[in-house]
Amino acid sequence: MQPDSKMGSQRAANLRMATILLSIAAVFFCGIILAQYSGAPAVAVGVLGLAILGFLGISIGRNVGRRGRQ
Amino acid sequence: MSSIPHDHAAGHEHAHEHHPGGIMRWIMTTNHKDIGTLYLWFSFTMFIAGGIMALTIRAELFQPGLQLVEPEFFNQLNTVHGLIMIFGAIMPAAVGFANWQVPMMIGAPDMAFGRLNNWSFWLLPFAGVLLLGSFLAPGGAPSAGWTLYPPLSVQAGMGMDMTIFAIHIMGASSIMGSINIITTILNMRAPGMTLMKMPLFVWTWLITAYMLIAVMPVLAGSVTMLLTDRHFGTSFFNAAGGGDPVLFQHVFWFFGHPEVYIMILPAFGIASTVIPAFARKPLFGYASMVYATASIAILSFLVWAHHMFTVGMPAAGQLFFMYATMLIAVPTGVKVFNWLATMWKGSMTFETPMLFAIGFLFLFTIGGFTGLVLAIVPVDISLHDTYYVVAHFHYVLVAGSLFAFFAGIYYWLPKWTGRMYDETLGKWHFWLSFIFFNVTFFPMHFLGLAGMPRRVPDYATQFTDWNMVASIGAFGFGLSQLLLLIAVLKTIRSGPPAPARPWEGADTLEWTLPSPPPYHTFETPPVVK
Repeated sequence: MQPDSKMGSQRAANLRMATILLSIAAVFFCGIILAQYSGAPAVAVGVLGLAILGFLGISIGRNVGRRGRQ
Repeated sequence: MSSIPHDHAAGHEHAHEHHPGGIMRWIMTTNHKDIGTLYLWFSFTMFIAGGIMALTIRAELFQPGLQLVEPEFFNQLNTVHGLIMIFGAIMPAAVGFANWQVPMMIGAPDMAFGRLNNWSFWLLPFAGVLLLGSFLAPGGAPSAGWTLYPPLSVQAGMGMDMTIFAIHIMGASSIMGSINIITTILNMRAPGMTLMKMPLFVWTWLITAYMLIAVMPVLAGSVTMLLTDRHFGTSFFNAAGGGDPVLFQHVFWFFGHPEVYIMILPAFGIASTVIPAFARKPLFGYASMVYATASIAILSFLVWAHHMFTVGMPAAGQLFFMYATMLIAVPTGVKVFNWLATMWKGSMTFETPMLFAIGFLFLFTIGGFTGLVLAIVPVDISLHDTYYVVAHFHYVLVAGSLFAFFAGIYYWLPKWTGRMYDETLGKWHFWLSFIFFNVTFFPMHFLGLAGMPRRVPDYATQFTDWNMVASIGAFGFGLSQLLLLIAVLKTIRSGPPAPARPWEGADTLEWTLPSPPPYHTFETPPVVK
């Protein structure tokens, strides 16, 4: 691969990852507010909490222990 | 963990030294080293501001009765001291270390998003001004404690609005910084730098960044709701309108407890870098350290309600949060064991970074043990909101985070500046900090056990003696920090030149670069074997 196209693909990968992470943060921010408008705020906040825990578990878990991953 | 063996470097790297000079260099910079420096100086400035507030608090508490400040102002000092130290001093310092070190440790040319990095930093001074400027607002700064519990935070004056906006800005800065760090680590590592070869400092920051993305939006959302309760007629947390103040406490601590680990994990990373370097041995149990860090991060999301046992909750809930809190001692114990095992039979020397790392290890462990004490529900109910809690979290965050950051500053200062610091001055800084820290905070255990409540400017006369000792210690500790400033300035101005690798046992990538490193580094990625 040519250096320019390699740099371009890395930039695209960086932007893709940043967009995903920013979207996740936005969902958590809106979620904690919208949860208050659900019929059962405590349950909705609990569900959001589990989603946050799931995000953390998956995001960390998929990287930990991967010896060969470049 | 990766080690060095490449001769790639040098050569072309001096070819691109051109960059703007003067003030514009710092305003416009997208260079990770410049931005790291800005973060560290900003953090030190906030540390001094928060420290002055702490000393005013301790001066007031030197004797029973009211001496220096009004009770309302005392509460404001308590609140802003906490917010400034957490959001203005410790977190930016950790990001400063990440900016300087992460790209150099993984062989990346810079952070993934240079402009975003610049913006992340330059938001902070505005937030700091808002937070400190709240003292000048009608009604003064917020006085509800750094936790901003309603109903006080709903009833407070305009200073609370300024604080809420400051938290929004600092939260946005943290999220942008975290996105940058995660992207840099996952996408820009040098060839051969697999995840399980990364230095532990990089690992701890990767996990910390994920935690920040998970909890900062929760804090931002909850303070946004506080704001709408204050000004737009909602009643999320305002009991007067049917809201639930306890829900705020749950949401706040769902952010607040992971926040403690957000502040301590980068410190763990620094200790895991410094201790092997001065023990001249590889870090013992590298993989278990990574797993322990991940476990601590995930468990930290399951223990928030141990901060609110006195609010009242079912026995099953109390038991769950008590046992979950105790469970964190297991991965933390793994880390302490591994640091000790790294030192075991090592060829140790005790330069300033190592002294601070050992000080961190010793004092953080004390803080951890008192945390275990507070995890026990009946004990916590009796010690809640006493000085025992104040002693506990200062052992964790001052002797924990701050001492590790001091270790990191002395460890990497030769690399950052190209000059060696004054070892004698560094050792004086360590010993005075270590002694005065304990003189300040150890007596607070006794005061708390005897029942002295926190956040109150007056106290019963039987608490006088230990309060005097603590106040003397606080002034000693505060003045000792001037030695850090002197040591850093002296290094920059007149330190003797530092070699590329001043520490015999240092084996991470940044030490393959000259000291100071060129403005642009690793434009051609190194190959890690």
